[in-house]
Amino acid sequence: MIKYTIKRLLQSLLTILIVVSIVFLLMRMLPTDYYFTPEELDRLSEQEKNDRLAAAGLLDDPITQLLRFYQQLLRFDLGTSRRIQTGVPVAEVIASKVAISLKFGSISLVISLFLGVVIGILQARYKDGIVDHVGTAYTVFVNAVPHLISYSLLLIFGSRVLGLPSMYSIRDPIRSAILPIACLALGSTAGYMLWTRRYMVDELNKDYIKLAKIKGLSTREIMFRHVLKNAFVPLAQYLPSSFLLTITGSLLAERFFSVPGMGPLLADSISRYDTNIVQALVMIYAGLGIIGVFLGDVLMTIIDPRISLTEKGDAR
Amino acid sequence: MSKSKDTVEKTEVLDETANMSDEELFSFVEYHHDDAERTGYSNYSYWKSVFKNFLKKKTAVVMLCVFLCLFVFSFVATAIGNYDYDKLIPDNEHSFESPNSEYWFGTDNLGRDYWCQVWYASQTSIKLAAIVALGECVLGIIIGCIWGYTRKIDALFTELYNIMTNVPNIIYMTLIALMIGQSFLIMAISMTAFGWMPMARQVRNLVMMYRDREYNLASRCLGTKQSRILVKNILPFLVSVIILRMALSIPRTISLESTLSYLGLGLDVNTPSLGILLRNSRAFFLDFPYILIFPAAIVSIITVTFYLVGNAFADACDPKNHV
Repeated sequence: MIKYTIKRLLQSLLTILIVVSIVFLLMRMLPTDYYFTPEELDRLSEQEKNDRLAAAGLLDDPITQLLRFYQQLLRFDLGTSRRIQTGVPVAEVIASKVAISLKFGSISLVISLFLGVVIGILQARYKDGIVDHVGTAYTVFVNAVPHLISYSLLLIFGSRVLGLPSMYSIRDPIRSAILPIACLALGSTAGYMLWTRRYMVDELNKDYIKLAKIKGLSTREIMFRHVLKNAFVPLAQYLPSSFLLTITGSLLAERFFSVPGMGPLLADSISRYDTNIVQALVMIYAGLGIIGVFLGDVLMTIIDPRISLTEKGDAR
Repeated sequence: MSKSKDTVEKTEVLDETANMSDEELFSFVEYHHDDAERTGYSNYSYWKSVFKNFLKKKTAVVMLCVFLCLFVFSFVATAIGNYDYDKLIPDNEHSFESPNSEYWFGTDNLGRDYWCQVWYASQTSIKLAAIVALGECVLGIIIGCIWGYTRKIDALFTELYNIMTNVPNIIYMTLIALMIGQSFLIMAISMTAFGWMPMARQVRNLVMMYRDREYNLASRCLGTKQSRILVKNILPFLVSVIILRMALSIPRTISLESTLSYLGLGLDVNTPSLGILLRNSRAFFLDFPYILIFPAAIVSIITVTFYLVGNAFADACDPKNHV
């Protein structure tokens, strides 16, 4: 197991390195004009521009720049932001945004996990009943219709009927956070409902459940002691990555409600050409994705001792 | 009860026949080639059963009809409307007029007729989604088959897949929007270029599953060409998965397009798609809900239809559900 873990972590590290290098080089392919704001482009002469670029080491050969970037990385130096918050260390910029996204994300994750699993259980328990049909309609709607629309509908409902603020603001952090969190929870609840129901229905059709019924176990005991436990295993695989990915925030929801979180940062930093932030973000995104999948696999082996990661070689 | 009755009847039949000789019991039948061929033929046709099973799903069929009407109507609507999309001029005197007999869906913030914008945008979105779904499907199947069938390149492709999926799509999209520009064609190509991966991955997994089944082993031993094994022996098993993916990629594409357009990374403002309309509506729909409701209703019908139809058709395609 330890050998397997080390091998897999090394592999992940290599993947992250390649990903970061590719993005680094891609960003260097754009013309250097992007480093300046439009007014600076007008104001500065060619000479001044070149001097500034040379001072920042941006005129060197891309490979030299890449090596320099890795050297700095070994000293845990991510550089400073150039345009988003000029002069502030990248780590600081990101940390302040992560705090917000993490707060929103984890609250909505807890809500949606609870609601999703409970409703999913009810749907499986009373299959083809009213709860099941309404729940299925809900999952179909949320999964099929673009989130932009469901967010808009929720916003209309929230602000017109309940009188909640339509934008997030620091002055009223609790009431204005309700709608963004509700929107985030809306989508993931549907996901948990869908999979809880699907796995539980699969499990209910198995022979050992028939045996349990024949033995005279109560429905409650069958549902919770046998069905739910087994149905939860595949769900557990996705828990760590969904928790880790709350850090990256939600691009659409945060932009929609002007939450100053991580979500819009990546798109902003690319379009405003803040290369240092882009590199750090890509590293975080790729790293979280890979670690999340790995932790999911580990969690699954802990919950279900029948599963082994090492026996079949690479389990994925 | 019924079981014991059966046994009683059987014993009676046995009693009747017990005293008969073999000649009385059996007689020879003349050999007919055609009759021999007919044995065991159950009039089963794969696609016929697929459609029969599909037609049983009432909701999906109804939604499909609604969608087809909507699609046809979008052309009729642009023709019968009072305004032509190409000739729209901003007119501040008429901004935010509620739906009336002149402007059937009202007007937007610049006083332009909303009816023709909405229908024009629906066509654009459907066209984009259809092109992307088809492109993803073709690319995904070809790459997935090669990936799954050729052992040597599996590790390489897996690593490539990991690298590509671990970079957030938004990076590619932003870079493309910055470096190349924004247009319908660029959008279609870039969405296809980064959308085929899940399809390829799934096709690869299935191809690997069926590749070494005994009948394929036998086929290979008998010297069947690899391409023939792939197309004739393996691909038919993937039909339901492929159709499901393709149908689901339409709501996903529309969704992604609306998100990207909302962020300003999608289509350019002069090619109205439903995403662009929704983006423009964000600032006004709290005061003028009709600006949101018309495009939202159309998008919802399209996406829900493909979601339901995809699931229903995939169920119908699965031979396990056939008689």
